[in-house]
Amino acid sequence: MAGLELLSDEGYRVDGRRAGELRKVRARMGVFAQADGSAYIEQGNTKVLAVVYGPHEMRGSRSKALHDRALVNCQYSMATFSTGERKRRPHGDRKSSEMTLHLKQTFEAAILTQLYPRSQIDIYVQVLQADGGNYCASVNAATLATIDAGIPMRDYVCASSAGFIEDTPLADLNYVEEAAGGPQVALALLPKSDQIALLEMNSRLHEDHLDQVIEAAIKACKDIYTVLDQVVREHVHEVTTLLGE
Amino acid sequence: MAAMELRLPVPRKVVSQGLARGSDKHLVAPGDTITTDTGYMRGHGTYMGDEKLVASVAGAVERVNKLICVKALKTRYNGEVGDIVVGRITEVQQKRWKVETNARLDSVLLLSSMNLPGGELRRRSAEDELAMRDYLQEGDLISAEVQAVFSDGAVSLHTRSLKYGKLGQGVLVQVSPSLVKRQKTHFHDLPCGASVILGNNGFIWIYPTPEQKDEEAGGFVTNLEPVPLHDREVISRLRNCILALVAQKLMLYDTSILYCYEASLPHQIKDILKPEVMQEIVLETRHRLLELEG
Amino acid sequence: MKETPLSNCERRFLLRAIEERKRLDGRQSYDYRNVRISFGADYGCCIVELGRTKVLGQVSCELVSPKLNRATEGILFFNLELSPMASPAFEPGRQSELLVKLNRLLERCLRNSKCIDTESLCVVAGVKVWQIRVDLHLLNHDGNIIDAASIAAIVALCHFRRPDVSVQGDEVTLYTPEERDPVPLSIHHMPICVSFAFFQQGTYLLVDPSEREERVMDGLLVIAMNKHREICTIQSSGGIMLLKDQVLRCSKITGVKVAEITELIQKALENDRKVRKEGGKFGFAESIPNQKISAFKMERAPVDTNDVEEQAEEIITKADPPSEVFAKPILQTPGTAQIGEGIENSWGDLEESEREEQEEDNSDDATTSGVQKMETEEISGVSKTKKEADTIILSDSEEEVVVVLEPEETRKKTRTHTSAKQENSSSKKTFNKKRKKKRTTH
Repeated sequence: MAGLELLSDEGYRVDGRRAGELRKVRARMGVFAQADGSAYIEQGNTKVLAVVYGPHEMRGSRSKALHDRALVNCQYSMATFSTGERKRRPHGDRKSSEMTLHLKQTFEAAILTQLYPRSQIDIYVQVLQADGGNYCASVNAATLATIDAGIPMRDYVCASSAGFIEDTPLADLNYVEEAAGGPQVALALLPKSDQIALLEMNSRLHEDHLDQVIEAAIKACKDIYTVLDQVVREHVHEVTTLLGE
Repeated sequence: MAAMELRLPVPRKVVSQGLARGSDKHLVAPGDTITTDTGYMRGHGTYMGDEKLVASVAGAVERVNKLICVKALKTRYNGEVGDIVVGRITEVQQKRWKVETNARLDSVLLLSSMNLPGGELRRRSAEDELAMRDYLQEGDLISAEVQAVFSDGAVSLHTRSLKYGKLGQGVLVQVSPSLVKRQKTHFHDLPCGASVILGNNGFIWIYPTPEQKDEEAGGFVTNLEPVPLHDREVISRLRNCILALVAQKLMLYDTSILYCYEASLPHQIKDILKPEVMQEIVLETRHRLLELEG
Repeated sequence: MKETPLSNCERRFLLRAIEERKRLDGRQSYDYRNVRISFGADYGCCIVELGRTKVLGQVSCELVSPKLNRATEGILFFNLELSPMASPAFEPGRQSELLVKLNRLLERCLRNSKCIDTESLCVVAGVKVWQIRVDLHLLNHDGNIIDAASIAAIVALCHFRRPDVSVQGDEVTLYTPEERDPVPLSIHHMPICVSFAFFQQGTYLLVDPSEREERVMDGLLVIAMNKHREICTIQSSGGIMLLKDQVLRCSKITGVKVAEITELIQKALENDRKVRKEGGKFGFAESIPNQKISAFKMERAPVDTNDVEEQAEEIITKADPPSEVFAKPILQTPGTAQIGEGIENSWGDLEESEREEQEEDNSDDATTSGVQKMETEEISGVSKTKKEADTIILSDSEEEVVVVLEPEETRKKTRTHTSAKQENSSSKKTFNKKRKKKRTTH
């Protein structure tokens, strides 16, 4: 796609956003009645569904149970219709395994697993439409689902991606910006304490610009946190009112 | 006659706007600081971070004297001694059964906590151990009471009473444990013609009211006589009513279920689960409950 | 084979040592182990040793048709294999999490950073391109696989020569190495991964963790950089919480390390080129050092002995004088002797009778007793002279033969095994318990 400028002279990106602007976020908690916790999130055109089961008794091999913590079991999968071309993705392929590992790592750090020895918490994430920022939307959806399930967490886990074009850091990249091949950072943050749960960077970026890009990603995560927090509070308010106690 | 009903999506109506409840509760989300006063004791749903008491779940803050805890909206069942639970046998192990009760670890039913047929009191022998599978197999449903809670949170059950034991014909409804109200008794015989066991763990069992009340078998022999159609209709109506109450997040107890049943009588059983009918029925139930409270 | 879990005392020891800024092999927190690069006889084959971690890298090429959506670019393929040769914990065939993680990291580091010019691999657009395949095998696992693997990959790529190709109109001629010299790949830059291990929730940081350190670490941060200080990949793993300043600090350290390693690589490549040009011997056989002792000469290590004497005297004056009484060896049976009594039982709660004994003779041991304890421990199991034993009473427990130990003097009280002979005898115990050492009064 030569000739597509990712950042115009007036400072507008491909979809009309400014450099530090996020895409529109719409989220809903408690979408499934059957699961312990579930959530659906839309970040621009990226649509992700997350479901949490647990904590429950270890299914499968008892030997994998940790005697002092809960085991967090994640699975990340993309629907075949999620990308522009229909692509059948076998579950064991490397990219999904890597995403699964990252999700697991992020949530093992955020969930207070010491409270549930010998149990298992399952987090399943399904990407329904992929338009950039799949991992970040998955993390956000899984956070909401975990809160919906009532599993204690240290803090929200908010994730956002950031890029760097023409000396300007961009926040929340969409598919076009990701495919252009410039440097991209995906960051998962615990907003209250500014702790980075996962940091991932691709492509070449000069060391001097690292600070700016991480800073932009942190700011984007905090913006997402405000949106998610609002969704959670509304949901809690509604349910508490209905329960009426 | 319509074979299938299709619905198009419509924007959801936020129900809570219609209810006038004072929101005087302190609602928190994970990561929120509850208080920086270190004089308080830390309860469930909180953790200490940096000399501040921080919430770890989303819910309402409850304060009892010096104890602060946050009650989550939806949790798995946490056993307390004396609760009635309905559970499903998942495993038969040496001298005990593992029962699935919607908790974070499977509950345990020891062989010594189970009533022997005939109600005899004796030490369980090796033959009893070998005959365990004759009493309860994997997949059986039982009602039991919580005897003790282990240190890791697993619950130990007992069925040392004639009213507990294996369950026979009926319908099981699984709901969230936080929707079942704590009451003095959880076994109810509803005047509409069915009986219901409201397990504290969120498993609700609806069954036809047995004719005779005396069971010498201690609940092991399942009554497999065919249930008359009228009873079945009552049971399915009750089940749909419970699902309607759960969808509208109303607490479940015998009065609310009964009022809902009565409010649903004008509708057909299969219509109860339609969203607008659900809303109507539950609204009526709410009004009647409010009137009851006075 | 299932991996043996690390014992808790080892874990504690390692963590304590790290808290005191000490590492098992004596390195500093930011030191790398020795990097040795050796080349094989063929182009594109190399072995990289990082301390004892060994990775073999091999590059090969093939002419294939290109991918449909990238008709003018060559194909790069990376593969890292973890075989049970490297560590018995790796099982053959099963794709473990570690393998996926390492492979993805390598792919992102080398492919996404565009270190190789893929356009130059194109022969005929849309018809034939070069497919470069980098195979890495881990030969020995002693920690920090990713660093060694990334060095091996980039070195192998730099070392590799592909056959020369010429295109005349529609005709493509592939020259064999004899006809025309093979051509090196065009490499823009050399990304090198540097790993940082975090301990104690991010308080302590180590560069290039060894295998033991990897087992006790909280998490790992890998930063890949080239010598122009461009960051190619960052990956944090293991569930640690980082702060932005930590990441920035690590990136600065990475810059320094990468510069050193790149220099090393250049030197190694240069050496190899020289050797090949001059016709000398090259290849793996030459690079493996002869591991035999061929000289009876010890390397003199300069030791600073300036204030050794003063320090020694200080220690001697502070310490208690050694005790006058040395325990004499007692022979129990042929083959078993005892000197003194053992050290304090550290198994846990003592039984009633033992607790009484302990309370009666609680004494403070001085530092010199530590030395003596060691001696008694070592010698008590060794046989000395062959004398007849006094009595052997067998216990009826299912464990081994239990021997009665009689103390030399009645003043010494020991915790014994059986028999009413002893004044302080208690219930039957097994032979496995250590005996408490009592100090005789000075």
